[in-house]
Amino acid sequence: MATYILRRMLLMIPTFIGITFICFAVMRFVPGGPVEQAIMQYKAAMMGGGGGEVASGGSSNSTGEVSAEMVEELKRIYGFDKPFHIAYLDWFVKVLQFDLGESYSYQKPVWDVISSRFPVSMFFGGIGFVLSYLVCVPLGVMKATKHGQGFDWASSILVFVGYSIPGWAAGVVLLVLFGGGSYYNVFPLGGMQSMNYHDLDFWGRVADKFHHAVLPVFCYMMGSFATTTVLMKNSLMENLGQDYVRTAFAKGLSEKKAIFKHALRNSLIPLATGLGHFFSFLLAGSYLIEKVFDIHGMGLLSFESLISRDYPVTLGILVISSILALIGNLLSDLIYALVDPRIRFK
Amino acid sequence: MTDADLIIILVVLSLHDGLRLGAMRLLTGAVQNGPGILWNGLVLILRSPLLLPDFYKAVLGYFQSPIIKRRADKFRSLKRGYYSFLLISGLYVLSFFLPLLVTDVAWYVRYEGQSYFPVVRSFAGYYVGNLINFKSTYFESDFGLLGDAPVRYRSLKKSFEAQNSGNKVVLAPYPYSPNESNLEEYEARPPHAPDKVHWFGTDDRGRDVFARMLYGFQISMTFALVVTFLSYLIGVSVGGYLGYYGGLFDIVVQRFVEIWSAIPFLFAVMIVVSIVKTNHMMVLLIFLLAAFGWMGMTYYIRGEFLREKAKDYVAAAISIGVKDTTIIFRHILPNALTPVISFMPFAIVGNISALVSLDFLGFGLPVPTPSWGELLNQGREYLKCYWLVFAPLGGLFATLMLVSFIGEAVREAFDPKQYSRLR
Repeated sequence: MATYILRRMLLMIPTFIGITFICFAVMRFVPGGPVEQAIMQYKAAMMGGGGGEVASGGSSNSTGEVSAEMVEELKRIYGFDKPFHIAYLDWFVKVLQFDLGESYSYQKPVWDVISSRFPVSMFFGGIGFVLSYLVCVPLGVMKATKHGQGFDWASSILVFVGYSIPGWAAGVVLLVLFGGGSYYNVFPLGGMQSMNYHDLDFWGRVADKFHHAVLPVFCYMMGSFATTTVLMKNSLMENLGQDYVRTAFAKGLSEKKAIFKHALRNSLIPLATGLGHFFSFLLAGSYLIEKVFDIHGMGLLSFESLISRDYPVTLGILVISSILALIGNLLSDLIYALVDPRIRFK
Repeated sequence: MTDADLIIILVVLSLHDGLRLGAMRLLTGAVQNGPGILWNGLVLILRSPLLLPDFYKAVLGYFQSPIIKRRADKFRSLKRGYYSFLLISGLYVLSFFLPLLVTDVAWYVRYEGQSYFPVVRSFAGYYVGNLINFKSTYFESDFGLLGDAPVRYRSLKKSFEAQNSGNKVVLAPYPYSPNESNLEEYEARPPHAPDKVHWFGTDDRGRDVFARMLYGFQISMTFALVVTFLSYLIGVSVGGYLGYYGGLFDIVVQRFVEIWSAIPFLFAVMIVVSIVKTNHMMVLLIFLLAAFGWMGMTYYIRGEFLREKAKDYVAAAISIGVKDTTIIFRHILPNALTPVISFMPFAIVGNISALVSLDFLGFGLPVPTPSWGELLNQGREYLKCYWLVFAPLGGLFATLMLVSFIGEAVREAFDPKQYSRLR
């Protein structure tokens, strides 16, 4: 087992290098990068008569032409003056030293910018993840035990609704319905806390957080609601048709015991593998839900960094989320082996 | 514009066969003495778009087999899925006639004793306006009005009725176009609430939401179908070669697939879209989504091929000297298409959602294109305007629900395993 883990970790290295290489190359070679953006902004400013806001490092004539020195200066600022392989190596060595560079727009180390957003995404991701398992597992079990009956049929509608409406889109509807849109004004429009948060006592703060979290958490749950429920149901149904359950019934066990002591345990295996991606869920956030509810987490940060072309932040988030995804894959496999003793990795 | 882009792409794809054949000969010639199977495999992947005819044959063969006939009968007996399939394909076919049905251009104009059918010209202009040069719109001077702007038929109708001189205008059933602003009809500023004229109200620029919804349906469906087709084309070819050849080629390409699928998909698309500036956004998005969406299918097809190639008919084909590509695409592929068929509806659902999400974030289709995601984004801004949220969400919900009903039925029809509850 230890050798298996070691081998998997070693295999993660070339994969990680590959991912970063591709992303770095895309950002570098696709036209319209930061240097061209800066030149265009400069030209626009010159055309607009003035250009006072542009911090011009080099000299330029007044017709809006950008001098060669200025282009060089811009390239140097954005690290485009070196050839690609050297720039990549420089960046990669720094990443290995946990130095993700400095954000253009925040003027702070990328790591500080990203880590300040961790708690926010963790709060929503964590609650959503736990709640979705707490709801989906019992619901899936109920659906399997009552397969073909009224309850199964009625809850199937819920599952289809959940599958057909993306969580973030449901979020917009919830805002219209309950966020003071056209109907009821029950929940806040977004954000993490009220304006007077710091004046509240402890319980007031808890209530305030909860008040702000209800709608986003609901959307997070909705994202995985349908698939998890159906997975649980199908997996239990499959086990209920197996011979060992027949044996359990044959030896006179009650239905409750046969299902919960025998069948359910085995049918939880496919769900357990999903737990491996827990950390990605926790930290990655969702661009869409965070944008809808104006939650300043990782998702919104990556979205904003793209809009403002803050490349170090974009690459930093990419590095962190791909590492998390790789670890998540490994964890899923390990958990799979842990809960199913028939599986042995070599 | 966007549909025109699509048509161009399809035409170019089919016309370039000659060019591609040349490239293929060049490639095969260069590799004839190449260093073994790895090279050959890579070349095969590069060549795979050339094998479209083989794909068609494989799909045809697949549907002719008796097992599939039985499964198709099963699918037809699953009423919910089957009727969803009929309904959505009917709506989709109908949606191609939207420029005829939902448009501000009049069906029929009678002016000074002469008959005009402006909608025919605008309909043709909508689809092939970029390819052929012809007069797709009538101008005000054509109907005795001052000025030479395109005719506004609704006001033309009013003025003809006021004149009462035998001139006549017959408008389309829903006489509003998706990109036309109707600001002059209202005193208040847009968005305007739904009323008898604008069934779903208007958006923040006074454009008719109902018309934008319908055109958005056509664009979303077309987009999702093309992306699904392209990504499955790549996925099936790569998976087929991997499973058939195995060995070093399999290991190397699998690593590449692993790397490719570890890149966060939506984020990567957003990065490229935010950087690249192009006039053919729809084409770019289609290729991006296909480029990041083909990996899932490779695993399934690879597995199918690994299983199938051990069977006797493959050995028989090899022993009589059938070409590798023929074995892969004509002999094995028809037996390995089950995952393609059963995952396709869900892939379509995923691609529609992806387009809506990208449009919502502003990384999708360029601005005037009718799109559900853009409407939802407006709804997020104008929370008081419920119609800006309920209309696109209702459309999205209905479409995705119908498609997933189809998917559910297909899966049931193709699943040999019947759940049996003991006791």
